[in-house]
Amino acid sequence: MSILANKDTRAVIIGGVAGLNAAKRMAQFDFLVNRPLTVQAFVYPPEEGQQKEIYRGGELNNVTVYGSLENALAENPQINTALIYIGASRAYQSAKEALDVKGIKLVTMITEGVPEKDAKALRKYALEQGKIFNGPSSIGIMTAGECRLGVIGGEFKNLKLCNLYRPGSFGVITKSGGLSNEAMWLCAQNGDGITSAVAIGGDAYPGTDFVTYLQMFENDPETKAVVVIGEVGGTLEEEAAEWYGREKRRIKLIASIGGTCQDVLPQGMKFGHAGAKEGKKGLGSARSKINALREAGALVPDTFGGLSKAIKQVYLELQASGVIKPEPELDEKLLPVLPPSVQEVMKQGEVIVEPLIRTTISDDRGEEPRYVGYAASELCEKGYGIEDVIGLLWNKKLPSKAESEIIKRIIMISADHGPAVSGAFGSIIAACAGIDLPQAVSAGMTMIGPRFGGAVTNAGKYFKYGVKEYPNDIPGFLNWMKENVGPVPGIGHRVKSLKNPDKRVKYLVEYVTNQTTLHTPCLNYALEVEKVTTAKKDNLILNVDGTIGCILVDLDFPEYSLNGFFVLARTIGMIGHWIDQNNQNARLIRLYDYLINYAVKEEREVPEKK
Amino acid sequence: MAKILEGPAMKLFNKWGIPVPNYVVIMDPDRLAQLGEANKWLRESKLVVKAHEAIGGRFKLGLVKLGLNLDEAFAAAKEMIGREIGTSVVRQVIVAEMLDHDEEYYLSIAGNRDGSELLLSNKGGVDIEDNWDSVKRLFIPLDETPTIERITESALEAGFTGEIAERVAKIASRLILCFDNEDAQSIEINPLVIRKSDMRFAALDAVMNVDWDARFRHADWDFKPVSEIGRPFTEAEQQIMDIDARIKGSVKLVEVPGGDIALLTAGGGASVFYSDAVVARGGSIANYAEYSGDPPDWAVEALTETICRLPNIKHIIVGGAIANFTDVKATFNGIINGFRESKSKGYLENVKIWVRRGGPNENQGLAAMKKLQEEGFDIHVYDRSMPMTDIVDLALNS
Repeated sequence: MSILANKDTRAVIIGGVAGLNAAKRMAQFDFLVNRPLTVQAFVYPPEEGQQKEIYRGGELNNVTVYGSLENALAENPQINTALIYIGASRAYQSAKEALDVKGIKLVTMITEGVPEKDAKALRKYALEQGKIFNGPSSIGIMTAGECRLGVIGGEFKNLKLCNLYRPGSFGVITKSGGLSNEAMWLCAQNGDGITSAVAIGGDAYPGTDFVTYLQMFENDPETKAVVVIGEVGGTLEEEAAEWYGREKRRIKLIASIGGTCQDVLPQGMKFGHAGAKEGKKGLGSARSKINALREAGALVPDTFGGLSKAIKQVYLELQASGVIKPEPELDEKLLPVLPPSVQEVMKQGEVIVEPLIRTTISDDRGEEPRYVGYAASELCEKGYGIEDVIGLLWNKKLPSKAESEIIKRIIMISADHGPAVSGAFGSIIAACAGIDLPQAVSAGMTMIGPRFGGAVTNAGKYFKYGVKEYPNDIPGFLNWMKENVGPVPGIGHRVKSLKNPDKRVKYLVEYVTNQTTLHTPCLNYALEVEKVTTAKKDNLILNVDGTIGCILVDLDFPEYSLNGFFVLARTIGMIGHWIDQNNQNARLIRLYDYLINYAVKEEREVPEKK
Repeated sequence: MAKILEGPAMKLFNKWGIPVPNYVVIMDPDRLAQLGEANKWLRESKLVVKAHEAIGGRFKLGLVKLGLNLDEAFAAAKEMIGREIGTSVVRQVIVAEMLDHDEEYYLSIAGNRDGSELLLSNKGGVDIEDNWDSVKRLFIPLDETPTIERITESALEAGFTGEIAERVAKIASRLILCFDNEDAQSIEINPLVIRKSDMRFAALDAVMNVDWDARFRHADWDFKPVSEIGRPFTEAEQQIMDIDARIKGSVKLVEVPGGDIALLTAGGGASVFYSDAVVARGGSIANYAEYSGDPPDWAVEALTETICRLPNIKHIIVGGAIANFTDVKATFNGIINGFRESKSKGYLENVKIWVRRGGPNENQGLAAMKKLQEEGFDIHVYDRSMPMTDIVDLALNS
């Protein structure tokens, strides 16, 4: 037996993420006591139609989110209880709707910060309907062995520690949520646990008072004693004392009242729950409540810590008088164990999972990203630059100062080559068509290939091959290239020539050979090749792609990474073009007719389809 | 519960047709001269100047001056603005018309569980407490509005006569409207007077509490509630309130000067019981604190550091019930960081720390706390098997 919630309770949760979290906790309890899911539906219009995943032990359930309570009830007529988790501004309306549903007998409100006027109106409305409105600001309701409404009881381990898998003999009523859990623990530690526990909330005007629940407990034969935890403010505790003292009650009453400290504090200094406010002339003071309860025959210890002894005393007395019959303790080992998640089992090393991907370059699981083991902030602090991050992420090595400088210069001189080239032009057309930055840059990026920018990788690859296979035989290398590849990638330029050299190439080569002491076998080899090719034709010079490719091979970058430098550098330029077009509010462009040679058939009639 | 100052209360009275004297709220005395040019009543009436702050006992502190002309009011405002009273500073004064009157009446309304109660007396003024027997009460059930006739009856019972009773009833009916529509918790008008010059009613002083939780439906509430603790907030309290306003869950702090037992307790219910336990055992608390609703660790850390800086503390009680959903490991992590930081700044010398807690991840949280012993903290850690407030007994007996 129990009060308010039992094996037949079926609930709807009205509200968003807090309600979902509660439903997950409630399902853990459902698993512990082996009952069907308590939560049958959610009502939360923003997520209408979604399914929420709820695990009852290892069993995955999908619970539907409805846009209205009406729809939830239409498909789940078995619902008899509503939990309100929705925000304070909508809580009143939601609770009233729930009270209007014929089959819903209990509405409990977890929402905090609900206006007093709304709580008062809901209390009155529920009374008129002959229903129970519990809360606001209630952590929930627990019936041991049968039903959990809300997160009352905390984590799974605690449910077992508080013996909540089977009924005991104590009822619990508290204002505070945290203390409802504490009280359940005290009843398990010093007695045989609880029948039901209710948190009524610490607001000024709780929907249901101590007396109503005391009467319910009095009518529940399994409940032999009740622990009430109240506090300063209001008169609910005085009313409870009056009820208890009015006639001989079957249940024993143990109470603790918070707020006696306010007697000695500077006048007007009040704190605690919203309802913890003393009235004029000491009305509702903790002291007056304690006195009233003691006079009515309740056991009220001096401090909260004294509750342990008080509960134990009552438990032993009830046992001695035969009211509580000792029951053999359940073997904890027989209780279900919550299935652990994969992560938890892996942490304990009890399962092997084959990884889906592997990474060797970076790790963001700690407090900050680490690149090949180095913390990003430490790199910043020690004066490293973006060139060094490229070295780490692309080649897993920290470049030397000279190497970093070369990487930086390569990116600088390759960042943009004006709007006319395929990549930049592609981005510009996209920008003019009103396309967003990432897509416009991708449009330019798709141009990178054999005819635009793609030569870096191949130049590096083949010059490296030459160094290895034809070290002292340039003609031999050129022959091999002619037979197997075609024109040498990285050699030749449309407009530049020996007489009109490419300044970027000159600059890079000079910097690498004169200002650094780097060993550059690949670049040297390419320059030797250039001597031979330019002797044949003036414009068969080592171009910028070839130069960059060779230098990067000499810096030990893997050959398939080389195009990355071009991609990275041009991204800077393409982003620049996109921003530039947007700043100018550029209009949609299309080609003029005179830029197109319409080499098409003359206009003619479409023949009949055969 | 949120008490609001006289100025905003009078503004709400105006909105609902409850007569009030002419008044202005100023922060700069020079503004008074300009207002005087614009408003005849400032030039021609006797004036009252009051500090517009949540400071108790203003009269005794010289923060209320009566019967002034405009020049004198200017001088009084100049003297009051900027005055430091304890930890607070007077920043605003309210300058109102002084109304020549004979009788002083009392009119108030306060909410209760089933509705509200209207209180009337024809013996208002400063002595109302002594004349409490003269107060007549009218219970107003929730969602009901008493007729003018019904209120007039009550006014007659309260000793008002003839036309005055009818007029008082009319003002009371507006007070009920104001109470209902402004989500008020209580409104007290004392005194309500009749101005001799034109025989019109006016509410000379107003104490009003509104339900701050209802502010979402009052777009015109342009005021902030004043401190509920009987004095203005301290800087540290204000800082914690600012954090509280930004986070999920909550952190709270009230300083209690003179105490030597600091509280760093969890939960709205349990925290009060810890304060009680200290008082019951003859100790004195240095503060009240509370963190609840699984607040982020950095907020708990900030609260911890603030508490460690309280002067002359001998013990810190890190108490709490068995949490339902507040993560003990995470919140303790914030407390541990706060302790370390405070210790490195020279606080916590000769301070004993007492810990009792349960809840999600309690084992890890308590173990981490216990490890602080290795760093030289005088810390005593107990789990759920220790009765909740018994660490207070241990601290006081140590």
